Amino acid sequence: MSMLKTLLPSFALLRSRWLGCPLALMLTSTWALAQDKRWGPGEPASDYGDRFYDLFWLITILVSVAFALVVVLLVIPVLRDRARPGHRASFDHGKSLHDKRLTAIISIVTFIVLDAWVLVIAMKDLREAYWAIPDAKDPQTYRVEVLAQQWAWNFRATGVDGEFGTADDILTINELVVPLNRPVSFNMTSKDVIHALFLPEMRLKRDVNPGAINEAWFKPIKEGDFTILCAELCGFAHYQMYGKLVVLEQGQFNEWEAEASRLASTAFDADDTEAHWAWDWQE
Amino acid sequence: MSSDHIHPEPTTFLRKHVFSTDHKVIAKQFLWFGLIWLGIGGIMAMMLRWQLANPGVPVPLLGGLLFPRTGGVIDPASYNTLFTMHGTIMIFLGLTPAMIGALGNWCIPLMIGARDMIFPTLNMLSFWAMFAGGAVGFYSLFVPLGATEAGWTGYPTLSTTVGGVGQGETLWAIAVFLIGASSIMGGINYITTVIRLRAPGMSWMRLPLTVWGLFLTSILNVLFVPVIGSAMILLVLDRVFGTSFYVPASIMSGGTGGDPILYQHLFWIFGHPEVYILILPAWGVVCDLLSFFARKPAFGYRTSVGSMVVITVLSAVVYGHHMFTTGLSAMLGESFMLLTMIISVPAEVLFFNWLHTLWKGSLRLTTPMLFAMSVIFVFGLGGLTGIYLATIGTDIFLHDTYFVVGHFHLTMAASALFGTFGAVYFWFPKMFGRMMSEKLGKWHFWLSFVPLVIVFCIMFISGYAGMPRRYYDHTSVEYLRPLQHLNVATSVAAFLLGAAQLIFVFNFIKSRWWGKPAPQNPWDVGTLDWTIETPVPHYNFKTIPVVQCGPHEFSNPVLGPDTDWIYQTEKLPD
Amino acid sequence: MNTTGTIELHGDAPVDHAPRETGRDRVNATLGMILFIGSWTMAFGTLLLSFLVLRDKIAVWPPAGIALPSAPIAGFATLVLAASSVFVERASRSLALAPAVGADRRASFSSLWITGMLLGLGFALLQAWLWYDLILAGRTQTSGLYESLFFGLTWVHAAHVLVGLSLLGWALVGSKRGRYGPARRSFISNAALFWHFVGIVWLFLFLGFFVF
Repeated sequence: MSMLKTLLPSFALLRSRWLGCPLALMLTSTWALAQDKRWGPGEPASDYGDRFYDLFWLITILVSVAFALVVVLLVIPVLRDRARPGHRASFDHGKSLHDKRLTAIISIVTFIVLDAWVLVIAMKDLREAYWAIPDAKDPQTYRVEVLAQQWAWNFRATGVDGEFGTADDILTINELVVPLNRPVSFNMTSKDVIHALFLPEMRLKRDVNPGAINEAWFKPIKEGDFTILCAELCGFAHYQMYGKLVVLEQGQFNEWEAEASRLASTAFDADDTEAHWAWDWQE
Repeated sequence: MSSDHIHPEPTTFLRKHVFSTDHKVIAKQFLWFGLIWLGIGGIMAMMLRWQLANPGVPVPLLGGLLFPRTGGVIDPASYNTLFTMHGTIMIFLGLTPAMIGALGNWCIPLMIGARDMIFPTLNMLSFWAMFAGGAVGFYSLFVPLGATEAGWTGYPTLSTTVGGVGQGETLWAIAVFLIGASSIMGGINYITTVIRLRAPGMSWMRLPLTVWGLFLTSILNVLFVPVIGSAMILLVLDRVFGTSFYVPASIMSGGTGGDPILYQHLFWIFGHPEVYILILPAWGVVCDLLSFFARKPAFGYRTSVGSMVVITVLSAVVYGHHMFTTGLSAMLGESFMLLTMIISVPAEVLFFNWLHTLWKGSLRLTTPMLFAMSVIFVFGLGGLTGIYLATIGTDIFLHDTYFVVGHFHLTMAASALFGTFGAVYFWFPKMFGRMMSEKLGKWHFWLSFVPLVIVFCIMFISGYAGMPRRYYDHTSVEYLRPLQHLNVATSVAAFLLGAAQLIFVFNFIKSRWWGKPAPQNPWDVGTLDWTIETPVPHYNFKTIPVVQCGPHEFSNPVLGPDTDWIYQTEKLPD
Repeated sequence: MNTTGTIELHGDAPVDHAPRETGRDRVNATLGMILFIGSWTMAFGTLLLSFLVLRDKIAVWPPAGIALPSAPIAGFATLVLAASSVFVERASRSLALAPAVGADRRASFSSLWITGMLLGLGFALLQAWLWYDLILAGRTQTSGLYESLFFGLTWVHAAHVLVGLSLLGWALVGSKRGRYGPARRSFISNAALFWHFVGIVWLFLFLGFFVF
């Protein structure tokens, strides 16, 4: 990263002199960026994050075996059955009952091994994790209302009083602070176009539609700073619609929440209707 | 009126080459049109890759010309326009005419033994509607306030006036509408022609599989293109006349509003069949070419046809897998997941049949054959990675990342494109009366195939690593910055891929005018198109042929040791 | 049949003429038209699906307290369009029933066909009246979702009415000039088919907006 920053001025230099020399630019930037690289999404930071990893690699193994088989069956004829003098292809329309049975058996076996297996696990994951929206009445559940707009994330938390639409609501832009090890539940809508809340470390993604409220949830299991991205094209600054997710340990979080709530009540302006976009929590 | 009659050959230049009703001329028009647009869409892809690898660096060569205001740098709005138009162009103006327009027009009458399409005037209109669509799309690039920036999917409310005023998006919708009209006209023509104009003896089970693929594609075209036509009408009404079909009440200044998600449903009811619209002809061509060059009958002809029919039917009911993160109900989500998994079964049958066709054949590795075989590889990669996206658990993370980009490029784009290339190399001798250079063809193949696989396989890695698509600059986000090396590598491979297409352009142009004259049947293939002389006479068949056997009677022992093939017009010896 | 497995259909000399329409040609033309109508059914099906989805978003249907398009006029328009279809169909059939070209047949075709067209024109005027009424009451397509649906869908339908009337007119002119007649009637029967389709679409719109 730091390498990139130091290199940026040299890009400007290259621009003037080497405009016609794309290769030099490519090589320089490859070299610069290879200093700091990543091949995967990083460690999951939510409690269901491992499910994505497990399912992804299960599918990868299954798919790799299937693909390897395809390649082998593609390569063997190329090596063995090339046209040459005196060689004649075997004549087979594949119409016999035996062939049909073989086709049927192979398809069914592939379906069971490749699809059905994955399907069963996916259903389980959905019911146990992704679609198991936590009970909003449970005091453990930390509720957040999300209002997306071109191009920013507005977050609203209840503050200490536990009610939305009151003076002590904590409003933040492009930064969301949540407590560790407690389920965080979202109610999301958009002011203008469709956005999508994407928390890559939490393995969470959900569209944020105008005119409707979508729900999503996750439970952070790691402290620290994480990423908020927009994953649905929302205009020319789509790529800049990012923010920071801060996960704090419960004690620190309580301090932060109390202070933020207090500040919010002080700064509350009853006439600033733009800021009063809260809605009744929907389940 | 009817095309089994012989009409006089047109004499004026205009009727002969421009407003021709001859299916062969229209096929060539579609081919040139499609290839030129593929070139334009390809150059756009190169610019996109340039920006992704070198964010904010001026585009070499073209930059100063296209983006003078920023000194050659692609600005974010132009970047959005570029990927939107790249998608639209490649699908609607590149692959559709080159694959369905050119191939359908060329192959259907010649392979079923007809003198022309059944509705020649409609056929001509189909080309010119497509041309008008292309013209509107091209014009939209130059309107004030810029062309569309809403992605090729054009989701409202970004595509309504909420997302941006100006004519660009409206013209885009009109262009899609016109191209859709062209597809419907073509589809009606193809279906009626196949049903009504098959030569005597050409039963459904004797049709070359290319024709089957095109026939099923036409059915999908006729049924599902109107859906996007209507969706576009509503979009234009919203944009131009201020209705609120797609604009929710919360955005309207007052009163009741519509539903942006409705558009997504309509779009994907069309959009998913569209994937099969593009891939079915390629599958048909692959089925045929594998058999032709393995000198073996297409294995399991009936099961192949059956699989394609099943896929045609199922393609209409799986579209929801494009909307897993939209907010579908749990029941809908799970149903679409299951249905999507089921559609993989007929695809598996096709794979099985293809591989079995090659097994113990006598392979002639010509350029068309290489492209046909590469479709197995490329579609295998693309199809299998579809499982990740059909599974909601993994799709939640992978949706709208580069994983999706890699997946759909391999399935609908690369497979359809390689199928088209195979078909062009294969039918070129009959179309233009000259052979394409095999040597250049093989260079083209290997220099396309290898970089293509690299490009889209790296996208799987970047997608898995969480890189969202449609980002102007991934280095602006700290989380994505360590992935930039993947972007650079993708771009290097993409430039190679782009450069390799120059070989094709050179080969195509050189062979078209200066190639070696082609014999009547250079590939030793028995379908009806190769029974007639080259160049094909105005009426194709002086006498309508009578078909006596299937298209794939290769290496039949009854043919004796001296030959391994037979024309469809010949009777198999007892 | 000879040894090369081909049959001679027309001999060597290219045949050039505007041939009399055969039964085979008629089947071709009708099949093409049916496919076209199937395609357009999907297009209007999409609009009707959108109608049903969006209608669900309106709490009270039809919306209360605002000016609505007049149901009696719409009902009358439905009857007019239905009658028009009946006349057009009878005209089209009168040709099929007369295999020989007869002046009297053509005359009865013309009068039936023109009646059908006039009724179609009447429908178009009634449709315009519906719009005019609503606009006078201050409701336009931008007023809300109900108006969006009503104006948007009827506009698309009205465009088809105009195309349909043009086709009917073209068929009439063609039959007067002898281009179409009992021996070449595919265009006429296809125009009639299209007209029926336009009528059926209206029926659905009428049911959606005024009945259910």
